[in-house]
Amino acid sequence: MGKDQLQGALELLILKVLALEPLHGYGIAQRIHQVSREALRVEEGSLYPALHRMEDEGWIASSWAESENSRRAKFYRLTRAGRKQFATESKRWAQTSIAIARALEAS
Amino acid sequence: MPLLSRLSSFLRRLANRATQDSDLDDEIRFHVEMLAQEQIREGVAPREAYRTARLKFGGSDQVKERVREARVGAWFDTLLQDIRFALRMLRKSPGFTAVAVLTLALGIGANTTMFSVVNSVLLRPLPYPQPDRLVQFELRMGGGTADALSVPQFQFFRDHNSAFEAVAGTRGGTDVELKQGNSIQWVSSEEVTDDFFRTFGVSPATGREFVREETLPTGPPVAILTDGIWRSAFQADPQIIGRQIEIDDQGYTVVGILPRGFRVVDGSPEIFMALHLGNALGDRGMNTEVLGRLKKNESLRAAQANMDVVYEEFHRQDSARQGDRSVQLMGYQDYLVGDIKPSLLMLFGAVGLLLLVACANVASLLLARSNARQKEISIRLALGARRIRLLQQFLTEDLVLAFIGGAAGLLTASWGLTILIGSIPFYLPSNVSIKVDASVLAFTLFIAIATSVAFGLASFWQTSRLDLNSSLKESAKGSGSVSQNFTGRALVVCEVAVSVALLIGAGLLIESLYHLREQNLGFDPQNVFTMTTPFLPPKNAPHEAVWNSQQEILRRVQALPGVVSAAVVTVPPLMGRYNLPTQREGHPEQGIGGMEIRTISQDYFRTMDIPILQGRGFSDIDSAGSAPTVLISENLARLWWNGASAIGDHVAIGMLGGKLYTKTAEVREIVGVVGNVKGRSMGAPAPPMIYIPVSQVAADSTSPPPGWVIRTAKNVNIATALREAVAQVNPEQRVVLSAPLQHFVNMSVAGPNFDAQLMGLFAALALGVTAVGIYGVLSFHVSQRTHEIGIRMALGATPHDVLRLVVGRGMILVGIGIGIGIIAALASTRLFEALLFQVRPTDFATYAGVAITLTCVAFFASYIPARRAMRVDPMVALRYE
Repeated sequence: MGKDQLQGALELLILKVLALEPLHGYGIAQRIHQVSREALRVEEGSLYPALHRMEDEGWIASSWAESENSRRAKFYRLTRAGRKQFATESKRWAQTSIAIARALEAS
Repeated sequence: MPLLSRLSSFLRRLANRATQDSDLDDEIRFHVEMLAQEQIREGVAPREAYRTARLKFGGSDQVKERVREARVGAWFDTLLQDIRFALRMLRKSPGFTAVAVLTLALGIGANTTMFSVVNSVLLRPLPYPQPDRLVQFELRMGGGTADALSVPQFQFFRDHNSAFEAVAGTRGGTDVELKQGNSIQWVSSEEVTDDFFRTFGVSPATGREFVREETLPTGPPVAILTDGIWRSAFQADPQIIGRQIEIDDQGYTVVGILPRGFRVVDGSPEIFMALHLGNALGDRGMNTEVLGRLKKNESLRAAQANMDVVYEEFHRQDSARQGDRSVQLMGYQDYLVGDIKPSLLMLFGAVGLLLLVACANVASLLLARSNARQKEISIRLALGARRIRLLQQFLTEDLVLAFIGGAAGLLTASWGLTILIGSIPFYLPSNVSIKVDASVLAFTLFIAIATSVAFGLASFWQTSRLDLNSSLKESAKGSGSVSQNFTGRALVVCEVAVSVALLIGAGLLIESLYHLREQNLGFDPQNVFTMTTPFLPPKNAPHEAVWNSQQEILRRVQALPGVVSAAVVTVPPLMGRYNLPTQREGHPEQGIGGMEIRTISQDYFRTMDIPILQGRGFSDIDSAGSAPTVLISENLARLWWNGASAIGDHVAIGMLGGKLYTKTAEVREIVGVVGNVKGRSMGAPAPPMIYIPVSQVAADSTSPPPGWVIRTAKNVNIATALREAVAQVNPEQRVVLSAPLQHFVNMSVAGPNFDAQLMGLFAALALGVTAVGIYGVLSFHVSQRTHEIGIRMALGATPHDVLRLVVGRGMILVGIGIGIGIIAALASTRLFEALLFQVRPTDFATYAGVAITLTCVAFFASYIPARRAMRVDPMVALRYE
């Protein structure tokens, strides 16, 4: 898979995680780790650039708030555009993965 | 929509630039802290936990850098950062910056200046419909070309060609007196035939053009006005058509007014009068300029082929065969700029070479500098900087440098342009206004960007080849990569070669100028003053009256203090031409179609210091009543009498090949032979010439207005006294063109002078820039080899050996450069052979002189760094490790 698709996957995961509740960067990394049943580990070197890029695209927004351990943290939340993006991207992802799976099974 | 949100993000980022980075810091710190907490919860000691967390997070600076790159408008941040960095680097090495900016400013400034001129003069089209269809007729004769034809030729060509939509003749460019009531105004005028304006592709806004009948010898006096004079002199009176206006005391009927904005660029006349095509002597001589408009889709080449046929026909019918001739067609714009074009193109080429030297120099300076920064680059690469990022930064640095250079160049150009325009000695068509315009700015910008990209790639080329380990291991004295030294040396060779070519060009032009100045004029221009007195209306005043008044003026002028002698002459040397068909009486085979004729008063030869070689000069015995006499020039005597004495033989003026060109030929007896005198130009050989005594000639309205030559004692300024003397005889007589004859001598070498001076300037600049280049490369070389030189000296090398080592290296480069430059010059100077006078483009002395000059300059440029090398203290150099 190309670099763009990997990036797309990361963005899709972030959108998925944020669709549940607003989270800070550390929390997002943790959550992805958990929901993938510890199969995926997001590197910080990829996470933060992706977050900032997505914020520039207008899919997520950020604000500073108190975290669960009473520290100031930057929380990201989904915007309306982000929800729309999540819907279209997850659909596309599903179609793509089904198509790939089919292609791999056929022989 | 995404575009909009991106834009708003960009603006937001721009607005919060200050807080953004600290926000990111906080965000990352929080993340690391959370990672550490994780560890602590698992029982790791806090200190160790933070260390592991930081390690786990990865280089926080790298993450930050990647975040910044991911942001919208990251390029903008980077750009600002790079520009700031570039400016800091430039400030840090003011010497380098000054030399680089100065070099660029010279190169770009000189180019912009020359391009402004070339653009205005050669590239901008003439302000007429389909200007490329306008064609000028020229007559090619044995010795050269004439830009004017005789009336019979014009009429024949007009009526028999098949290539032209319209053909028109024009004559004049004289000032006429426009009288309205009591007010008198001098206005420039031109006599033109029918179809003149159709040829230019315009028709009068009001009224009509001249018609064929109006150009007959008996045609009525009619005039057409430009919009400008119609508004300024006639208050835009719409009733003017059909009314009479008074020009030179004669009534002319206005038949048309030209459209607004139209003008004839060659001289900008304001009043046009119908040219009457008659049989007068002036009509027979080659005095009528001919213009044509090609038919649609007709090429100049096809038209030329057509004219060759037409000329053959004319030649057959013409009983006076005038030797080997042909008609040559020339694009009107080419004709207008014909004198300037070769020299402008040559100078433009030269200035392009100058830019090449400047760029090579800046490139080699940058190369030396980036070599000095090799260590910095290695460290940055080792710390994880990406090469593309470095390239970006290098390009920005060079771009900043080039733009500063470009801005300085533009300043230089606007300053240089004022000086250049003031000193352009050529006649520029009046539609030309030379200024720094948009296309010039674009040109400058293009040069600046092209040069900076070239530098950027040049310096990046080597950093990208950098082997990290070896360059980090090498200490600061590092010997530099081999390829880099090679590039630097190649640049020096290139600079030397181009300088050699430029210097040779300049040398040849200067030598031409010297030869031209040394030309034997045939007269002594020192302390001779000239003036011209236009005919007073009516034009056909009886000759006696004119001559009487001239004699009166001569008497008064000769009585002025400081005046040695004075004379009348139709056309003083170098100030024009006046010719008539002439043959040796009784020898139809010996004739010259355009024999130069000068009508003079008897003191002319004494005043001009022209020697009388045989026979006698004119005196009081050559009066209106006595036998008609002439003096001839020595080259005419040799041509027609070939060693035998011409004295006592006769010439027939107005007759050629046995055919009469006037009602009666003037047969005159030769009474003397005088020295040859230059005609219109100094570059052409002296033409055969015939002198007629003014006391014997009948006035002819087509002959040029009388000129005067006055020889004075040294350092006498008689300009005012002359005007007063003329005014005393006739208060209405105008005096034009009064100036020392030396001025016209200078004017006629002004073109070559201009070429030689500019070319000399460019070559000198190139030489200076090259010297700096050689110095820079060798200085760098010495500083790199300080260590090696130290060892050599410790091992017993004398300072002399070191000197030889450094200078020798420089001189090898210079030697190669000179060789290449000479070959390039041999190949290219032929291109401007036309601009050379009595100098072969392979002139040995020039080539040798240039080689020696360059060797000397290069020697001194390499001697300075060599001195530094000689003073290297072996102990210090070795301890440097």
